Amino acid sequence: MLRDITFGQYYEGRSVVHKTDPRVKILLLILIIVFIFIAENAFSLGFAAVMIIITAIISRVPFGMYLKNMKAILPVLIFTGIINLFYGDGGKVLLSFWKLSVTTDGVYRAIFMAVRITMLIFVSSALTYTTTPNDLTDAIESLLSPLKFIGLKSAVHTLAMMMTIALRFIPTLIEEAEKIMNAQKARGADLENGRLKERVKALIPVLIPLLISSVRRAYELAEAMECRCYNGGEGRTRMKQMHMSARDFWALAFAISVCGGIITLNIFF
Amino acid sequence: MSVLEVKNLTHTYGGNTPFVNDAVKGVSFTAEKGEIIGIIGHTGSGKSTLVQHLNGLLKPTSGEILLDGVNIWENPKEIRKVRSKVGLVFQYPEYQLFEETVFKDIAFGPKNMGLTGKELEKRVVDTCNMIGVKPEYFEKSPFDLSGGEKRRVAIAGVMAMNPEVIVFDEPTAGLDPKGREDVTEIIANYRRCTGATVIIISHSMEDMAVIADKLLVMNKGSLQMFGTVEEVFKNGDALREIGLNVPIVTRVFYELKKAGVPVPDNVFTVESAVKVLEKLRDGDGNA
Repeated sequence: MLRDITFGQYYEGRSVVHKTDPRVKILLLILIIVFIFIAENAFSLGFAAVMIIITAIISRVPFGMYLKNMKAILPVLIFTGIINLFYGDGGKVLLSFWKLSVTTDGVYRAIFMAVRITMLIFVSSALTYTTTPNDLTDAIESLLSPLKFIGLKSAVHTLAMMMTIALRFIPTLIEEAEKIMNAQKARGADLENGRLKERVKALIPVLIPLLISSVRRAYELAEAMECRCYNGGEGRTRMKQMHMSARDFWALAFAISVCGGIITLNIFF
Repeated sequence: MSVLEVKNLTHTYGGNTPFVNDAVKGVSFTAEKGEIIGIIGHTGSGKSTLVQHLNGLLKPTSGEILLDGVNIWENPKEIRKVRSKVGLVFQYPEYQLFEETVFKDIAFGPKNMGLTGKELEKRVVDTCNMIGVKPEYFEKSPFDLSGGEKRRVAIAGVMAMNPEVIVFDEPTAGLDPKGREDVTEIIANYRRCTGATVIIISHSMEDMAVIADKLLVMNKGSLQMFGTVEEVFKNGDALREIGLNVPIVTRVFYELKKAGVPVPDNVFTVESAVKVLEKLRDGDGNA
């Protein structure tokens, strides 16, 4: 059901990965994603994959949680895999029909792409599982703060606040949606059966009350914030200050050496 | 004649996770035709989980629910028929309104049962007459109504399915005293007109004393007591132990009795309290 959505869910823990500064984690995630695409042969990608899996292991988040995220993108993975199968332009022909042929090169490409996508999911899951959504938005706000020099001072804070609120209300909305679905089912609504068109129509009695309650909640929240003198980011301090520590520099060093390894392996093989 | 029979019902949330939680444990009770049963219990005692089994929104982990002697899960494909026989009015039902007009919204339930045309119209009009939704409201948007009126329309939406058992989850929550009285009146009236069985979850012992025939006390997922209002409210100490209490007026009479005033201890409503006190006064006057 709706509760099964795990993407962006925090998994409580006290590992090194959890404790690393979220700003550092975001920057390293971007860096590693770029290098996953820079890796161009089996050795460098394999090296990256091993390092990412090591990171996943030291995060002490159960491996099953990572695989659960994989399940969601399995169709994409299979689809790109199949497309790539036919794109090989060299090697032995394994299978051919009509104008298409599968070659050893195609198989290699398909596996290569699959590993690449898997690693992207793993490394981004490693960030979202070990960082609370609030830490993430705080970190994004902090990383975007240079934008204030080009006249976007309030925009950065507003954006971060919007993200915090949106994340905070996802579980609330899911709960609300379930309640409304149950209420309409109790009135005989059929949400599970029927053709696509009927099913879409059956969602109207759920979506309208959900929309109305979201707007009502937004007004209530805005009022509550104003009552506590919220007036944007100016002069606002934080309860949790983010500080870089030795741990963060070790993380940085680890990531940079992984990147160095990828480049080296790219050159030598 | 028993309409609804719950046998050894257990529901466990989160079956395969570390957060296993028995929300309802081995609950059994029977509801007779035309009875009003009040369910009381502390927050998190499993009241809401229990009632969501009665119309098949939740499937029991073990145990069964018999409606007119038939297990409601005997044919899972027919579960929607059960939902029109056992109406369930959720907490804050006004949040489920969605149609353009009050009339259409009330017609949603009966329409899902397959009613059409004249029959559908008659059903909606009859329900509105019974619970006091005036015809001039029919073409209004439900979102333009006041809180109390919205609640009334939402309740009408479930009652229009003519269920033989109707369950309310805290029907008076968030209403002013007048609204509470109105809703209580609507419920009593529905029973009078249709002879249906009514089950109400409530936190208000005072409301329960007025309206219920029997009380079912839940504590930590288990059934603690099930009996007439008098049988349950006589166990004041046991109720207090699980964070509940007896009606305020009963507490007053308990103290009066301790102070030596000759009053009975089975006074649960203000109305009966007035009668007892009047009798006492008149008795004193005569003596």
